[in-house]
Amino acid sequence: MKKIVSVLIGLIIAGLLFGTLLGCSGKKEAPAKEAQKAEQPAKKLKAGFIYIGPVGDYGWSNAHDVGRKYAQSKLPWLETVIVESVPEGDAIRIIDRLVNEEKCNVIFTTSFGYMDDTVKAAEKYKNTLFFHCSGFKRASNLGTYFAELYQMYYLNGLMAGVLTQSNKVGYVGAFPISEVIRHIDAYALGVKEANPKAKVEVRWIFSWYDPAKAKEAAQSLVAAGADVLAFTEDSPSVIEVGQEHMKKGKKVYTFSHYSPMQKFGEDSVVSGQLVDWGPMYVKILTDVYNGQKDFTNYDLWWLAAENVALLGGEIGQPINPKFVDLLKSKKIKSKDLGEMNAYDYVMKRYEQFKANQFEPFTGPIKDQKGVERIPAGKKADPAHLLSIEYFVDNVVGEIPRK
Amino acid sequence: MQLGTVQVSVQWEVRKKQTPLLSVLTLIGALGIGFLWVGFVFVFLGVDPVFALQKIFIGSFGSLYGWKESLTKGIPLFLISSGLCVAYQAKFWNIGAESQLLMGAVCSTWFGLQFGASLSPILGIPLMFFVGFLGGALWGVIPAILKVRFGMNEVISTLMMNYVAAEFVSYLIVGPWKGSTKYGYPYTDDLPKHLLLGTIPGTRIHYVTLVLGIVISMALFILLYRTKFGYEVRVVGESPEAAKYAGIDFFRTSLWIMIISGGVAGMAGVGEVAGIHHHLSYPGNISAGYGFTAIITAWLGKLNPLGSLLSGLFFAGILVGGDAIQISLRLPAATVHIFNGILLFVLLIGNFFLNYRPVVQIRRR
Repeated sequence: MKKIVSVLIGLIIAGLLFGTLLGCSGKKEAPAKEAQKAEQPAKKLKAGFIYIGPVGDYGWSNAHDVGRKYAQSKLPWLETVIVESVPEGDAIRIIDRLVNEEKCNVIFTTSFGYMDDTVKAAEKYKNTLFFHCSGFKRASNLGTYFAELYQMYYLNGLMAGVLTQSNKVGYVGAFPISEVIRHIDAYALGVKEANPKAKVEVRWIFSWYDPAKAKEAAQSLVAAGADVLAFTEDSPSVIEVGQEHMKKGKKVYTFSHYSPMQKFGEDSVVSGQLVDWGPMYVKILTDVYNGQKDFTNYDLWWLAAENVALLGGEIGQPINPKFVDLLKSKKIKSKDLGEMNAYDYVMKRYEQFKANQFEPFTGPIKDQKGVERIPAGKKADPAHLLSIEYFVDNVVGEIPRK
Repeated sequence: MQLGTVQVSVQWEVRKKQTPLLSVLTLIGALGIGFLWVGFVFVFLGVDPVFALQKIFIGSFGSLYGWKESLTKGIPLFLISSGLCVAYQAKFWNIGAESQLLMGAVCSTWFGLQFGASLSPILGIPLMFFVGFLGGALWGVIPAILKVRFGMNEVISTLMMNYVAAEFVSYLIVGPWKGSTKYGYPYTDDLPKHLLLGTIPGTRIHYVTLVLGIVISMALFILLYRTKFGYEVRVVGESPEAAKYAGIDFFRTSLWIMIISGGVAGMAGVGEVAGIHHHLSYPGNISAGYGFTAIITAWLGKLNPLGSLLSGLFFAGILVGGDAIQISLRLPAATVHIFNGILLFVLLIGNFFLNYRPVVQIRRR
C-alpha cells in the first residue's frame, strides 16, 4: 500500500513541477508575441476550422479543408488554424482553445453535431463570430451555411436511368438522415424521369466512412442485379467495385461522391457530385472582413447556381469523356424539354439549375406507399427538403424508423 | 549470446522489495526517457521540442483552463478504471467497459426520456444513475455467467460485446429512438432539462459524476482492502484453487465483480449522456474510447482504485494536452497518438523494471 501511495505522490509532484516550470517559462513568451502583433496595424482575420474527421479522408473534412486553402490563397489578410478529428462532445473544448489561446476572430464548426456546442460558445464569446455548417440555429454572432448537392444527384439519376439495362439502379447509403434521404430521392426522381420502369434499390451501411461495408453493400447490389451505383460514403470503395466489374467485362456504372474520385474507376465512373466550399468560405470571410455585425439571418444554402455544387467525378469534367458518346446515343423525353439525347438533356437541366429555373421536387410526388407528398404543380420548399423523411415511389428499400 | 568464450546470460528476477524511492525514481526516469523520445519526434517534425512540451503541459496541468478540461475528461476514467481494478484483481479480464458504459448510457437515456418529465431532479438524477448502473451491470454479468457456467473466455466475450453494444446504440438512434426534434439526424431527443447534470460554472465538469467517481473509488478501495469480499476477490485472482479450498463461491464472486465493474462503467455512461451530450448519439461520440483508455489507467494505477484516480487524471491530462499538438503546433491529429503511445510505452517498461531486476551473469567457458 505504501508503495502505491508514494508512487502516486511522486506522480503528482512530477506533474505539478513540470506543469508549473513550463507554465512559468511559457508566460514569458506571451508579451513578446503581442509586441509583434502591434507592429502590424493592418487588419487581419484569424479563422479556426473544426473538422469531424481527418483532413486526409476522401470526403467531408477534406472538402472543407480544400475550401479553406482556397480562401487562404484568395484573401491575403486571412490566417487559418485547423483542428481535425474532433469528436462531437469535445467541440466546446477546442472552441475554448481557439478563442482563448489562438485568438481566432472567426470559427467554423463543420459538422451538424457541433450545433449545440457552437450555440453555447456563441453565447459565451460575444466578440467572436461563429459559422456552423448544416445547422439551423442562429444568433447575432452565429451564422449558418451549407452547400447542397441534391440537384447533382438528380442529374446523376437521369444518366443512371438511361444507362441501366436491368432497370435496377443501386444506392449505398451512409445513414438514414434527411440529407441522405433527400439525395436518394433526387437521384430516384432523375432515374424516373429518364426511365419510368427503373427502380432504385438502397442498402444502408450506417457509417460515414467504412470502405469494407461499402464494398460489401455494392457487391450485394450488383449480385441483386443492379448495374448502376451511386453512394454516400467517404471512400472510393463503391467505385472500385464498379471498376473491377468493368475490367471483367460486366457493365457496372458508378457515380463519384463529394471528392473527385473518377481516377479510381476511369472505366466505370460516368459522372458524380462535387462540392466546392471555397467560394462559400471566401464569401463568409469577406462579409466578416467588410464589417458585417449581425448574422441573425445569415443562412447560406448554396447550390448549383452559386457554383458550389458541381457535376462530375473530376474537376472540369461534368461527364467522363469516355461515356459522352454513349449518352448521346440515348434519348430522354419530358413535357417541358421535349425529346433530346441524354447528354444534351443532362447539360440542359444543369444549365437550368445554374439559372434557378428548375426544381426536381415539383409535384405530383408520391411516396412509396402512394401517399401524395407534394401536390401537382407545387414545388417543395426548403423546410420540406431539409426534413424529408420519405422515399419517393420508385425507391425499393426501407428507411429504418419507429 | 556468445562472445568468444565468454557467455553472457540475462535473467529476470522478481524484485522482493519495491521501495518508495525506487518507485518514484522509476517513474521519473520513465517519464524522462519518454519526453526525450517525444522530443526527438518533435525535432523530426520540425518543431522546437521545448516549445512543444511547454504547450502541451500548459494545456493540461499548467493552467486553470487545462485543469478544467483534464478533470472533465478524467471523470469517466475515474469511474471505469476503479471498477476495472476490482475485476483485474480477481484476474477477470473485462475488456468490455466500453460497452458497459454504452449500455449505462442507453438505459439512463431510456429512463430519462420515458419517465424523466414527471420526476423531480432530486429523485430523477439518482434514479438515472441507478438505472445506468443496472444497465452496465447486466451487460457485465452476461460474460461472467458465460465464463463460470460454460468456460467461455471472458476476454473474447467482453471484447465482442463491445461491438454488439455499439451496433445496438447505432440501431436505436437511427431507428426507434430517433429524436423528433433533431431534423432527421441520428440523435435521440434531449433529456428533460431538469435532469441534466449541473456543471461547475465556467467549466464542463459535471460535479455530480465527479463526486461519484471519487467516492466510488474510495469505496472500492475499502471494499478491496478492508472487507472479506475484497479478500475473496484477491484470493480468486491469486489462486482459484486456493479459493475453492477456502470455500469461496467462485460463481457468486465473479458475478459481483462484474456487477461492480460493469455497473460503475454504466454510471460513467450516465455522466457522459446527462452531463456532456444531453442525448444519445453515435457510440463513438458518447465514449471517446474511455472504456479502453481506462484499462491502461487501471494498470498504471497498479490496480488500486485510488491509484486510478491519479492515473486517470494524468492520462486525461495527456489527452487534453494533446490538443495543443494540433492547434498550436499545427501538426496532424495522428501525432497525438504517437505522443500518447510513447508515454504509455515507457511507463509500462518502467513498471516492468520495477517488478523485475535484471541479473547479468558472465561466465567463462
